[in-house]
Amino acid sequence: MEIIIDGKKCEAQYGEYLLDIARKNGIHIPTLCHSDALPGQATCRLCIVEVVEGSRRRVVTSCVFPVTREVEVFTNSEKIRRMRKNIIRLLSARAPKNEFIQKLREEYGLLQETRFAVDEKENCILCGLCVRACEEMGIFAISTVNRGIEKKVSTPFDEASDVCIGCGACAFVCPTRAINIMDENGVRHLWNKEFQLVKCQKCGEYFTTREHQEYMKQKFGEDNNYTLCEKCRKKAAGEKMAECYRI
Amino acid sequence: MELKDFSYARTILEQYPPERRFLLAILQDIQKHYNYIPRPILEMLRDYLDVPLSKLYSVATFYKALSLKPKGRYVIKVCDGTACHLKSSQSIIDEIKKVLKIVPGSTTGDGKFSLETVNCLGSCAVSPVMVINDRFYGRVTPSRVREILEEYGRLENEQTWK
Ligand code: SF4
Ligand code: FES
Ligand code: FES
Repeated sequence: MEIIIDGKKCEAQYGEYLLDIARKNGIHIPTLCHSDALPGQATCRLCIVEVVEGSRRRVVTSCVFPVTREVEVFTNSEKIRRMRKNIIRLLSARAPKNEFIQKLREEYGLLQETRFAVDEKENCILCGLCVRACEEMGIFAISTVNRGIEKKVSTPFDEASDVCIGCGACAFVCPTRAINIMDENGVRHLWNKEFQLVKCQKCGEYFTTREHQEYMKQKFGEDNNYTLCEKCRKKAAGEKMAECYRI
Repeated sequence: MELKDFSYARTILEQYPPERRFLLAILQDIQKHYNYIPRPILEMLRDYLDVPLSKLYSVATFYKALSLKPKGRYVIKVCDGTACHLKSSQSIIDEIKKVLKIVPGSTTGDGKFSLETVNCLGSCAVSPVMVINDRFYGRVTPSRVREILEEYGRLENEQTWK
């Protein structure tokens, strides 16, 4: 199947998401809440594009729009730019000092929003990706709390969570680095809790928390090299493979 | 009914099969019985339904009808919807504030009254409207507010006399 994005012919598979097709063809669409590992969040609305089919034009979020027909797509039409600017202005009102939002503002030539009373320290845009990440880990330590203007992401009762393993998946996926995570002197501080960091048995670098390590061992078995950091684990796997082929 | 006694919560829970789809119904029943969702019961519910505490907390903080802080025995809801607003519901709210010395969203020190504002109770024809627990009051005026509240005062005294 072939679709046209901003005048460029692009090869597409049935059901493939517009954003993925655009990216494969080097066409830039701004995103915040999209993560390749956790697709389908679609809450930031930044990735909107215009899809044209005959006389029908509509605005869709490209990160969750599957291509099923040969359509024409505009990622930067006047209408899209105008709408996207509004979205960025709203995001700016929410997280005015955030570096990622600031960058978007610059990209779209927007000034800092002054119409609203803002919280200068706020960085979270409430996309909910962190909550998803935690669910995906199977932990469910955080969730969205309250609603409307009081909505936020937190642990139950804003306390140190009794289930959090300090893996940091939430902070890792956060598009605006809104989650306070700090590793200091072998201790990780996250969600009002402190975790003991453990060192990789090969390279000796701190790489995760004891709780995370234990959890992975329990879930996937002892023999999966959870005492090694990501890098050393990959290396070990590579060496093992090489050994196999030598025989 | 002893408020600190959470054992009745078991009875509430067991009226429902341990399935997630009953989550909200159970929370509503708990809210009704205790006037709030006590934390130990939220934890009990977590174990009963096998739902993460974070999810329960999310639901409990989302709905206005649920509260994690104890509400008064009498929950006063003053409608501040469009019709009631035009019929000066604000003067009613002000009057209640004056009499009970609480602001919307809070509870009197003795745990007797909570004050809330809501958006349209569907009785605009008799606006301004106020509800105390399950009783409706239409065409409320500031002077009637005092009368009504006094009724509840007396009611309370009668109960404690027994
Ligand atoms: S903390 Fe980050 S990932 Fe979580 S909702 Fe806020 S912006 Fe999204
Ligand atoms: S990236 Fe598509 S909605 Fe956020
Ligand atoms: S606005 Fe108060 S009942 Fe409708």
